[in-house]
Amino acid sequence: MEAVKNAFDFGDMPRSELGLAAAALAFLLWFPAMPHSSFGMATMIQFLMFSLYGMGWNLIGGYGGQVDLGKAQYVGIGAYTTAVMMIRWDVPFWFSMPVGMALAVGYSFIIGYPLFRLKGHYFAIATIATSLVLKDLFEVWDFVGGARGLELPLKGDFPNWLYLQFREDYYYYYILLGMLLVGLIYMNGFRHSRLGYQLRAIKDNEHVARSLGIDVHWSKIKAYAMATAYVAMVGSFHACYNFNIEPEDTMSLDLSVLIAMMAMLGGAGSMWGPIIGAAILVPMKNYLGSWLGGQAGFAGMDLAMYGLIIMIIAAAQPRGVYGIVEAMRARRR
Amino acid sequence: MEELGIQILKSAVSGLIMGLVFALVALGLTVIFGVMDIVNFAHGEFLMVGMYTSLLTSPLLGVDPVLTLPLAGLVGAVLGVLCYFGLIRFLLRGPMIAQLFGTFGLMIFLRNLALLFMGSEPRIVHEGWLVGKSILVGPGVVLESTKLAAAVLSLFSFAVVWWFINRTKVGKAITATSLDAEGARYMGISTEYMNALAWAVGGASVGVAGGLLVNFWPVEPGVGLLFTMIAFATVALGGFGSVRGALVAGIIIGFIVNLPPVWDAILRSIDAAGLRGLEIHSFKYTMVYAVYFLIMVLRPQGLFGWKQ
Repeated sequence: MEAVKNAFDFGDMPRSELGLAAAALAFLLWFPAMPHSSFGMATMIQFLMFSLYGMGWNLIGGYGGQVDLGKAQYVGIGAYTTAVMMIRWDVPFWFSMPVGMALAVGYSFIIGYPLFRLKGHYFAIATIATSLVLKDLFEVWDFVGGARGLELPLKGDFPNWLYLQFREDYYYYYILLGMLLVGLIYMNGFRHSRLGYQLRAIKDNEHVARSLGIDVHWSKIKAYAMATAYVAMVGSFHACYNFNIEPEDTMSLDLSVLIAMMAMLGGAGSMWGPIIGAAILVPMKNYLGSWLGGQAGFAGMDLAMYGLIIMIIAAAQPRGVYGIVEAMRARRR
Repeated sequence: MEELGIQILKSAVSGLIMGLVFALVALGLTVIFGVMDIVNFAHGEFLMVGMYTSLLTSPLLGVDPVLTLPLAGLVGAVLGVLCYFGLIRFLLRGPMIAQLFGTFGLMIFLRNLALLFMGSEPRIVHEGWLVGKSILVGPGVVLESTKLAAAVLSLFSFAVVWWFINRTKVGKAITATSLDAEGARYMGISTEYMNALAWAVGGASVGVAGGLLVNFWPVEPGVGLLFTMIAFATVALGGFGSVRGALVAGIIIGFIVNLPPVWDAILRSIDAAGLRGLEIHSFKYTMVYAVYFLIMVLRPQGLFGWKQ
């Protein structure tokens, strides 16, 4: 009961933040009713997806301080579970999504156990290695379509709530928005939970955390598994939304990095950070990409600028946009 | 059975040669890591810059690609120093996560800059003294002279770097900085200068590696990632910061990469129909990632490392 109360307790947040969050939520709810292009809608859906990915990353990378650059492998597990179950056994999305989450979490326990013997750089590179191994395996595994990937069958009967197939994008949008709200409330509960405090203690100083009787290794594994659940959930959704998945777009290193980057840009270790990061980077990436990439001879310009921005942020304000806000707030006081 | 023998010989030769090249790629990474505990994710992109330098300057200057190696090394060194003063110096003040992302941003930046200026099609050196010549080592085992030259020059580069680090005064100052930066400062060593020098040495060695590699490995903007991962695996196996370790580990990684063809040849020589599915030739580089993971978990300090 305590946990549920904690999840809905936003009392420790500044009023201004809650007001802004409410305004943002009102905007998000209202958005499909406003005039928008289909590109704008796709961007918004991507924004919501990356917010959730980033929140998952933030659980272990932000609160726990363990830089994970292999989140895409869980996107892949979620997406492939849903796709394979739908193609082979006609299983609806709402059943295959929890299965995908369970598989991803199980897998995360298996590799998390050895992974968390490592720290810092070594951990980060090892997560890249595991995710690239998994991607290479999927690229040759015939059961999941190899490098060409899988195509989801059209079930017809639109709007098909069971298999998550719709003609209009706003159905997907509202489902994702629902997921985001659930994710946020869960995250709020996590912040106040025992594990949440333990994890922040570990981030600040592992030795002190251990001396306080915290099982550091096990706490990290648990948080990693929770982070995985977020990512795998959105991965399942990704399969239904895209109708077509392949190892390159669900499990690539670029995706892992993008996830981590957005959370860090917004502010790792804060509740709103990943959402702020996604709100800045996703539209920038899409619009800059289509604007510059559309003109001949400018391919790569958008991502080069993107890399430049990342470098500047890492060098100037490693705590991200939220860090800037917090610094300003501290100065005013 | 004969096929198996040839394959083993082929893999052994190829493993040794490629291993030496991998070792040279990893050398720069281990020097930089040893001195300042920073992992450069853009290492493979430095290699790509070296490859493009050699590829582009050789027709421009009208000399053979092999003669552009010093230039590739120079460009690598300048790039290393620029990165140190422009980016790394600021990253060192921040937390570890900032260092990771800073060099990651550098990687994305360099890769896409290459895409912008060079386009995405793979390119390779088509003519030169070495290209197209080969030596027959044994029955069915052909050694391309480009690869042989790369291996020999890799050994030479190792000798130079080893001499520089262990036998010169400046090299000893670098070692002192890597062992204890604060202590080195008390002794009057400018650690700032030493850090920059480490980046110069690291950049130069990887630039030369790129210049050698482009003779037999096509260059495209995305070529870096594979080599970054190979270099990480090599450095992890050899021990972070160990020059000798990088050489030994590079050769071991070279052999590991060439194991899958041997395994497939064994399967073929047994010739059981049910075993066809067990062929692993497409997992050549997956092995590298798996090996990295295993080394880090089982022996985090590597074979010759003193840092953990």
